[in-house]
Amino acid sequence: MSETQSTQTGHASAIRVEGLNKWFGSFQVLFDINLTVENGERVVICGPSGSGKSTLIRCINALEDHQQGVIEVEGKALGHDSTSVYDVRTEVGMVFQHFNLFPHLTILENCILAPTVVRKTPRKEAEATAMHFLEKVKIPEQANKYPIQLSGGQQQRVAIARSLCMRPRVMLFDEPTSALDPEMIKEVLDTMVALAGEGMTMVCVTHEMGFARKVANRVVFMDAGAIVEVNSPDAFFTNPQNERTQAFLNQVLQH
Amino acid sequence: MNYNFSFPYIWGATPDLLDGLWMTLLISLLSIAISVVIGVVGAGLRVFQVPILSQLVAAYVNFIRSTPLLVQIFFIFFGLAEFGIRLGGFWSGILALSLWGGAYNTENVRGGLSAVDKGQREAAYSLGLRPLHYLRHVALPIGLRVSIPAMLNTAVSVLKNSSYLQAIGVAELTFVAMNRVATDFRTLEMFLAIGAMYLAIVLVLSAAVRRLEAVLQKPFRTA
Ligand SMILES: Nc1ncnc2c1ncn2[C@@H]1O[C@H](COP(=O)(O)OP(=O)(O)OP(=O)(O)O)[C@@H](O)[C@H]1O
Ligand SMILES: [Mg+2]
Repeated sequence: MSETQSTQTGHASAIRVEGLNKWFGSFQVLFDINLTVENGERVVICGPSGSGKSTLIRCINALEDHQQGVIEVEGKALGHDSTSVYDVRTEVGMVFQHFNLFPHLTILENCILAPTVVRKTPRKEAEATAMHFLEKVKIPEQANKYPIQLSGGQQQRVAIARSLCMRPRVMLFDEPTSALDPEMIKEVLDTMVALAGEGMTMVCVTHEMGFARKVANRVVFMDAGAIVEVNSPDAFFTNPQNERTQAFLNQVLQH
Repeated sequence: MNYNFSFPYIWGATPDLLDGLWMTLLISLLSIAISVVIGVVGAGLRVFQVPILSQLVAAYVNFIRSTPLLVQIFFIFFGLAEFGIRLGGFWSGILALSLWGGAYNTENVRGGLSAVDKGQREAAYSLGLRPLHYLRHVALPIGLRVSIPAMLNTAVSVLKNSSYLQAIGVAELTFVAMNRVATDFRTLEMFLAIGAMYLAIVLVLSAAVRRLEAVLQKPFRTA
């Protein structure tokens, strides 16, 4: 009911997760997750390994299914039917830890595949869009190379551009820099900061605390499958409410 | 010991042998093509675990792999005739070889598809691609590259196994040679000649597949 209301008034949140519970078999990974992300908002999710961060954001574009609760993207509810799954996925872009570029396609072909196949965009137009975003991530000169010829940082920037080519309303990032050599982390973070500056709605799982301070509106801390604390970055880093948050921050900030 | 080997005999038999060769090529190439299609479809059904169909494909593959090809050929040629389905030697042969190669190609392609990193599927799906888009544009081009050596083996086997079809009277290369041996007793000449012909086709087939493989490999080489 609230979903039809919110769509009608045109004030749908970018993402609304309510009462989400998820199990892998008999193992419960997510416990009563509630999280609303407004349009243009940037949310950083952090927490110890195995706390369910990836699972949560993978539920948002139905890479994982969920057993209980409501997930809505731009007012569209994610059901268990394939139509709602495809509807939501076209609104949501995702960037992975290991880039996952298609190895048999050039950079340009990587970027135009989904627009031409899913959106039926004419090839010329798709190529123009792709070049536009490749310029945005500062890598247009690599357009005709294959992924294997690029560095990790370059590949990740291409992965961001490839997602943007579908013109998503929301971008999800799952530890986009944690597979990168230190000297390449900055170029990817810079790209993400620029994206944030353009008002993109972003949900980032990351332990890059500098990035969180710089662009996040809110920081979400997860532990053992539950959201333990949601706070502004300032409050989160200087005055964490939860003792588990404190323990986690002590660990992360030491490194 | 004092076998009188005659090249002129081979020369004289060449027109006949070429007819047989043509039949062998026609049947083999058609069967190979169909077996590749069966393999891709079968592997797709298996990989996406399509209910019921996936189990049927598994049963089919098992059946083909655990019965002799000659029995399958007889079953299709004689057995189906009992049910009033008379395909004739040519189409029975193509059906038998296609089903035989298709079963092996299902396994070959499935092997290739399961070698595709699962991150590829996630990336494809997160970009909005449907399962068939993913199969067509991502999984097959990546996976087939891995399957190709095994598929070449299957194709060569289909070609060689087409000689079984002489048992149901298809006038392919082996049949033609056997017929001549039965009347002229030029055993060595005939089997040497058709051996060379089979070898030549296999070499050409292998070379063609290597070209294809090189094309598919190109993106994976750094340079
Ligand atoms: N496909 C799966 N099947 C079963 N259990 C899974 C599966 N995927 C994840 N898990 C389990 O669910 C829990 C949460 O995993 P998840 O990957 O969401 O954690 P995470 O917070 O992203 O951790 P990390 O920081 O290591 O990436 C873990 O205990 C993990 O072992
Ligand atoms: Mg994770």
